Amino acid sequence: MEQKIQELRAAAQAEISGAADLKELDGVRVKFLGKKGELTSLLRGMNQVSAEDRPKIGKVVNEARAEIEKLIADKNSALKAAALQNKLASEKIDVTLPGRKVHCGHLHPLTLTLNRIKEIFIQMGYSVEEGPEVETDYFNFEALNLPKDHPARDMQDSFYITEEILLRTQTSPVQARTMQKNTGNAPIRMIAPGRVYRRDDFDASHSPMFHQVEGLVVDRGVTFGDLIGTLDFFCKQMFGENTNIRLRPSFFPFTSVSTECDCSCPICHGRDSNCKVCHGAGWLEILGAGEVHPKVLEMSGYSPSVVSGFAFGMGVERIAMIKYGIDDLRLFFENDLRFLNQF
Amino acid sequence: MRVSTKWLKDFIDIDCTTEELAERFTMSGTPVENIIRAGVGLEKVVTGCIEKLERHPESDHLQICQMNVGAGEFLQIVTGAQNVAEGQIVPVALVGANLPCGKKISKGKLRGVVSNGMLCSPDELKIEGDSSGILILPEDTPIGVPAAEVLGLDDDILEFELTANRGDCFSVFGLVREAAVLFDRAPNFPEIKVDEDADADAADMIEIKIDAPDLCSRFSARVLTDVKLGPSPEWIQKRLEGAGIRAINNVVDVTNFVMVELGQPLHAYDYEEISGKVLNARRAVAGEQLHTLDDSNRLAKGGELVIADAEKAAGLAGVMGGYETEITEKTKTVVLEAASFNSASIRRTSRAVGLHSEASGRFERGVNEKATVTALDRAAQLLQEMGACKVCKGIVDVYPAPKSPVKVQFTSQQINDRLGTNYSDAEICGVLKKLGFEISEAGAQFDEDFITDRISFAAKHLGRAARELSQNASVDDFVKNIGETVGELINRSGSKSFVTYEATVPDWRNDVELMDDLAEEVARIFGYDKIPATLPKSAQQGHQSAAQNFADRIKNILAALGMNEITSFAFTSAETFDKLQIPADSELRRAVPIMNPLTDEFPLLRTNLVGSILENAARNFSRKNEDVRLFEIAPVFFPKALPITEQPREIQKLVGLLMGRREPKGWAQTSAEIDFYDAKGIVEELLAQLEIGNYSVEAGSHYALHPGKTAVFKKGREILLTLGEVHPAVADAFGINKKIYVFEADIATLIKCAAKKFSFESLPKYPAITRDLAILVSLDVAAGEVEKVIAKSAGKIFSGVTLFDVYTGERIAADKKSLAFNIKFQSGERTLTDEEADAAFKNILAAVEKDFEAELRS
Ligand SMILES: [Zn+2]
Repeated sequence: MEQKIQELRAAAQAEISGAADLKELDGVRVKFLGKKGELTSLLRGMNQVSAEDRPKIGKVVNEARAEIEKLIADKNSALKAAALQNKLASEKIDVTLPGRKVHCGHLHPLTLTLNRIKEIFIQMGYSVEEGPEVETDYFNFEALNLPKDHPARDMQDSFYITEEILLRTQTSPVQARTMQKNTGNAPIRMIAPGRVYRRDDFDASHSPMFHQVEGLVVDRGVTFGDLIGTLDFFCKQMFGENTNIRLRPSFFPFTSVSTECDCSCPICHGRDSNCKVCHGAGWLEILGAGEVHPKVLEMSGYSPSVVSGFAFGMGVERIAMIKYGIDDLRLFFENDLRFLNQF
Repeated sequence: MRVSTKWLKDFIDIDCTTEELAERFTMSGTPVENIIRAGVGLEKVVTGCIEKLERHPESDHLQICQMNVGAGEFLQIVTGAQNVAEGQIVPVALVGANLPCGKKISKGKLRGVVSNGMLCSPDELKIEGDSSGILILPEDTPIGVPAAEVLGLDDDILEFELTANRGDCFSVFGLVREAAVLFDRAPNFPEIKVDEDADADAADMIEIKIDAPDLCSRFSARVLTDVKLGPSPEWIQKRLEGAGIRAINNVVDVTNFVMVELGQPLHAYDYEEISGKVLNARRAVAGEQLHTLDDSNRLAKGGELVIADAEKAAGLAGVMGGYETEITEKTKTVVLEAASFNSASIRRTSRAVGLHSEASGRFERGVNEKATVTALDRAAQLLQEMGACKVCKGIVDVYPAPKSPVKVQFTSQQINDRLGTNYSDAEICGVLKKLGFEISEAGAQFDEDFITDRISFAAKHLGRAARELSQNASVDDFVKNIGETVGELINRSGSKSFVTYEATVPDWRNDVELMDDLAEEVARIFGYDKIPATLPKSAQQGHQSAAQNFADRIKNILAALGMNEITSFAFTSAETFDKLQIPADSELRRAVPIMNPLTDEFPLLRTNLVGSILENAARNFSRKNEDVRLFEIAPVFFPKALPITEQPREIQKLVGLLMGRREPKGWAQTSAEIDFYDAKGIVEELLAQLEIGNYSVEAGSHYALHPGKTAVFKKGREILLTLGEVHPAVADAFGINKKIYVFEADIATLIKCAAKKFSFESLPKYPAITRDLAILVSLDVAAGEVEKVIAKSAGKIFSGVTLFDVYTGERIAADKKSLAFNIKFQSGERTLTDEEADAAFKNILAAVEKDFEAELRS
């Protein structure tokens, strides 16, 4: 009996290790351990064993059973692991194939630039004001100390609708509009972004329509030094901490201490004589500014003996061209998706 | 304005480089736009003498020269020129020269003979002269010196881009005055004096009249006799050339020379041709003939200032002289005019006739009417010095209302307050004096704020001392207190300047009227870079308006939904309206016309954004960008009346456009084209994110859209948005043979219909029950209508419906379609029972059966 058990055990061991897959292994299990299996039948033959041998034989049978069960369980896990390995191997994909693309939208680079300009000034306490694009001669010129026949009007060849109505040539009329909305020398700190129009041909550096941001601060004791500090802060925020500004005296009819403001080239910092942006000059003209002319304050109901202020005006395209190194103004208005998708 | 640096250096001793000079000018408000370098490329060109000349053994037309260039050994150069001879002095380009014509000189061999340079023609040096051969220099030319020096090409030209206010710098004298302040050197102006050597008295010969004193404030004239016309001396021609003015003859050249030197334009008349021997500054009569010196006949509009003789207008004042009185070879007697004309009038006239001259440019900026006589004297002096005329006695000078000098009062405190600086009285007055202002003390005036401040300080301290005294403080303490208060008052006073000064503006400056202008003078001379950078002190809250935020939100949402923002021009045309099929009577055709459009292609302001977005789509399409998803927010313009009498209405609009593939091109992506419902999905998501709900969608119409594929989104009566497929004929007109979907909306309406407050909806606590409803309805039943009925008939437990299948085809009758809805029931208070859901479902079914003759699909 005992020998039979050992033989059975050896046979089971051999068959288990020979099982090629889970199905065969299950066949082995049924063959040896099933209700009609060989070990089970062997147990059924226990009644033929003498009473004194039974415990011993029983123990051997149980040991054999336990061992076969364990062998089957081990083989089972081994086979499962192997099967999973095979499955995973067969599932291998080419991870270098490109991912599925999605349609991605983009804000226009001028909007991105303007958003940044707005952020900088809003954090400095400026409100964002607006005005009409079709303006009166009064607000566009006269309220800014540019009477008819003023030579400075030549600089801004305008699109006229009538003798007295035109497409605004600058966002500066919003200055006068904002002041005239207020009373009693109320302090102002505003920017006015928007489209402006000039009768220029459309080429790499001119456009009949472009964007400006006008700024105006009016309060008691506002100095030219405050303007310098503001422009310096703006340029550093816009183009980076290591940017500097340079002021050149200039003339605008609506300011009294007038200046052109250059910023140091944020691309080459003046170190590249072939720089695409500054062409080696190291400085880029970015805006015009000055102390608000007393006549402008007066015309809009402010008293120049009580308050003073400064104003500045910049071209959004100009800032965007510097910031992104764009060399052709037309790109902004052609809206080629290969351009727009880069921002 | 162009001026040679040598001319400036005639009158002031400055020894800096041209770049430094330009920089100083630019940084103090007289911007130099450009430096025209003389002698660029002539660095390695020297004078050389041809010592020996022999034929080239291998060539008929080449010659071998032995050149003495002052270097000891002779230089061998092979030349092809035929006009050379031994002993001549010529310009020699040495090896390494990089000539203005672009030629680079290197060591070489010509037909086997070594050549170490090149003899230069005028063309190769870019100077005037006979270019058929080598430039032959005068015999006394020194040998071995830079050619630039000999040719007078060592004079750099500064090109100024003067601002409109600085008419005074439109002259050599003006720029020298600036330089004198900038470099702190005294200018050295020439003595202007005339010897009135003719017998006649000018006043007996010519009468000067001003009939239009508002347009001509001063008219001065000199008469020159025995005029000998001829070329002017070399040095005058050179200076004029540097200023970009062509030399003509001595009289004209001198008038131009004095204009550049002093800034006062002069005009010379042929005395014999002046009818009636009178010159009158008067307004032209409308239709009056003007025969100008360019020999063209112009008709006066009327009102232009002309200088007329007894018969006719003899020229447009300050703009162009008259033909008959022009100086010619026959001229023997000359009347020289120096006048001051109204700048606005000159500007109008010069624009009207399209003539911008050196003279009109100066009058437009304003000339110094105090200096007309000086200019006449200077011109007479120069002509006399060159022996070209005799000068009659006296000046005929009509100056009806002499301008009184402008006086401006200021305190240094005011100037410092404006600038944010701390300059002393002495510093400020010093700068102004150097600039030619006369400064006098106008008394010590106290400004009101300052006095109020001091009085309240004194009152407070004295009051406290008195109170302390009344509370038994000692008299000693009281006295001590008062002493301290007075001391402090004196201290504080010392920190502030009280002296009010009066600055008399020099007569050449017409741009200084206010204290602010003085502040600018001080700032620009000390340098803007010396002013400390500060920030405004007061605190204010930055913000933008709700409407601006809303527009920003739309942009961000659409970009997140895969749309690209564009920026397009506001111009349009009737042709675009035609292409868009806008009906003839539509308001959209009543566009605002531009009086002076850039081109005839775009004479109107746009009334819609559909045209421009289609143009942008077409441009992309033609450039093979086929998947196009664009949007723009911009105003459109509608006149309140035509013709325009007031500013038009400006209405902010949103437009969007989609065309091309549903998914970007890729190996595992569908190549299907988008359809109406893709576009509608984007619009629905936009509205949802803008919190615009409870709107209805119905079939509608739009001029540019497919009549069967146009949806109108409405909230109540307001049209929120219109969406549809672009009419194939419209697409075709824009050159696109693909389906395009466009939507447009009015921003103000969107704002009005957007939820004012966002309110969060809590997540459901109890589970939902869903039921599917598949029905057959006839083809023309709108799914949207069915959804409305489902929602209405489901009762309170209804929480949503999703149309998940639409089917037409073989399995159902040809005139039917199948709609399958997933309907969700849910309660916020309890778990629903199946019976409740079934009951609701029954109601829905009954309703759709009744309203749409729907059959339940089994
Ligand atoms: Zn650079």
